[in-house]
Amino acid sequence: MKKRPDIKIKNGKKYFFKFTPLQRAQHITIASCVIVLVLTGMPLKFHEAFWAQPIYALFGGIKMAPVVHKIAGTVLLLLFVFHLAYVVYSIFADLIIPLHKKKELKLFTVVKTIVTHPIMPSWKDVRDIIDLLKYLLFMTNERPAGDKFTWKEKFDYWAPFWGIVIMVSTGIIMWQKELVTRFLPGEVINLALIAHSDEALLAALFLFIWHFYNVHFSTSVFPMGTVFLTGYLPEHLMVEEHYEYYQKVMKAAGLEDEILAPDGAQRKTSGKAPQATREISIADLPRVS
Amino acid sequence: MMICDSFQRRFLFSGILLLALSFFIPGISDAADIGNCLMCHKYPGLSRVDEKGEFRLLFVNENIFNKSVHAKVKCEGCHPDIKKIPHEPAKKVDCLTQCHIIEPSSEKKFSHKDVATFLAGSVHAKTDKDGQPKKFAEDIPTCKDCHENPLYRPLSFFKRVRPGISEIALGRCRVCHKSDEFIYRFYNHVTTRLHKIRNPRNIAETCARCHDNPEIIARHELTTRAVFSYGETFHGKAAHFLSERIPDCLDCHVKPGESVHQMLTNKDPNSITHINNKGTICGNMDCHPNATPQMANYKVHTEFNLEQSPFAYYFQVFFILLTGGTLLPLMGIMFLDLVRRLFPNAAFKRSKKTDEEKT
Repeated sequence: MKKRPDIKIKNGKKYFFKFTPLQRAQHITIASCVIVLVLTGMPLKFHEAFWAQPIYALFGGIKMAPVVHKIAGTVLLLLFVFHLAYVVYSIFADLIIPLHKKKELKLFTVVKTIVTHPIMPSWKDVRDIIDLLKYLLFMTNERPAGDKFTWKEKFDYWAPFWGIVIMVSTGIIMWQKELVTRFLPGEVINLALIAHSDEALLAALFLFIWHFYNVHFSTSVFPMGTVFLTGYLPEHLMVEEHYEYYQKVMKAAGLEDEILAPDGAQRKTSGKAPQATREISIADLPRVS
Repeated sequence: MMICDSFQRRFLFSGILLLALSFFIPGISDAADIGNCLMCHKYPGLSRVDEKGEFRLLFVNENIFNKSVHAKVKCEGCHPDIKKIPHEPAKKVDCLTQCHIIEPSSEKKFSHKDVATFLAGSVHAKTDKDGQPKKFAEDIPTCKDCHENPLYRPLSFFKRVRPGISEIALGRCRVCHKSDEFIYRFYNHVTTRLHKIRNPRNIAETCARCHDNPEIIARHELTTRAVFSYGETFHGKAAHFLSERIPDCLDCHVKPGESVHQMLTNKDPNSITHINNKGTICGNMDCHPNATPQMANYKVHTEFNLEQSPFAYYFQVFFILLTGGTLLPLMGIMFLDLVRRLFPNAAFKRSKKTDEEKT
């Protein structure tokens, strides 16, 4: 597969590679599914609210909306299965095969590479959260220097991961209640309803408050961050959220002179004039594909 | 004296005028109104305050009444105590009066008295098995607590089922039955009775009048708010959105083939909701044909509080804590972030490293 450039420079502005087209497609699919699921699910949870009836009517009311909900749920389930396969493939292709080529394929090294993968939670995340709180409470003027994926992004990935497991499993229990109650007592449907409904509210609030704040409403990205469409993160966001990784990438690309200060200011004037349009690929930069 | 005379003259004049007008108003005379009761009761403002001080509206909307299931019953059929006009305050209607049309299969006068027999053997009987009055017998519903005079709700059955009368089907009736009034009424009667006259939400609301009333629940030592808990299930929510296909109270609490008036307590071995029988409820051919008896263990009427279902209660508490525990810290960070962005350069302590790097 053609490797995408790690840094794209367009009109003198730098953009840093973040998401492959397949990752972006998965994000758009899950986002669409979740929006449809929330719009066809919440009117049932809050059926007496004034907005429940009109929103439900948009999806065909009580005759059609449950069908739309099940279709969106099924697409989400298929996406989840695809994503699991994708993760297994990525572990194999990006971690195990390189280890095999280097003749370091041992259980310990495999586990170690998986555990230290950029998307896995680490102690640095705890330090970053503490540093962020210090920054937010005016105890320092420095933001935490985030790595490739910040703790916020890891949260945004792992929280829906747990959420989908809960939502899909309880959704299937309620959908296939006749089959499920052949093996399990009927009370399971009660518990499934509680879990489905409460976890849905948690997920919806999490996504539409927290995630939307970070990618839409925060002053750094308002009205909308574009990385989910372009796959490339603009330099000012790279500096703001991923400073550690930013420095790593810039140094690897031989652009030490152009590294901005942590608050986005130019540190020193570079000798070379910035090139208007350029693409830079870094051979040994760790990649999550 | 003068005032009285003038009042009498005016009253007489208005009476004659009304009588004269009534001949010119179309549709004023109907077969059911042989006693000419509508002469007075057709006026929308006709009302009075009764001896108990309650406002009574005495207006009868003929157009609506003629579309109701009792359209063919004469006024005197339900109000046999009224023999002359003007009349004394009428007695309360007794639905068991033998007042009705001739029942075609037996050719006898029809009445609702069988309903009383059914009710007497049901959970809604006023007396217990030994014939002794039950405690709080006044809470037990009588006919008019659940029923008003329902409207016809015909279904068209030609090629496909939809609401309303099928003119195509009526064309077949006309071959033998010459009176259109008769075939419309018969068609309406039969098709209205082939399905439910009320939608599930309406039925649930009727039952809720007593079964969600906290005083009645306490007096009769019922375990739950029946309609509230039903309303928390998918069935109840779908009923709220006016689904016609969703089961309501009667679908699960009445044995198929029996009248709703024969409803029994779940302690009665003959009851469909008895522990030994309830396994068959969900597996109804029209509902969940593949359901096993286990499915009926689903707790339709449990309110998830500590008394009724501690496990489900703590399960719910877990999710509430999870939601609060996740969202509150994140929203706190969001709030602090909003404030921080107002003063991007402010800090009590500055990092020397960054300042040095910048210079």
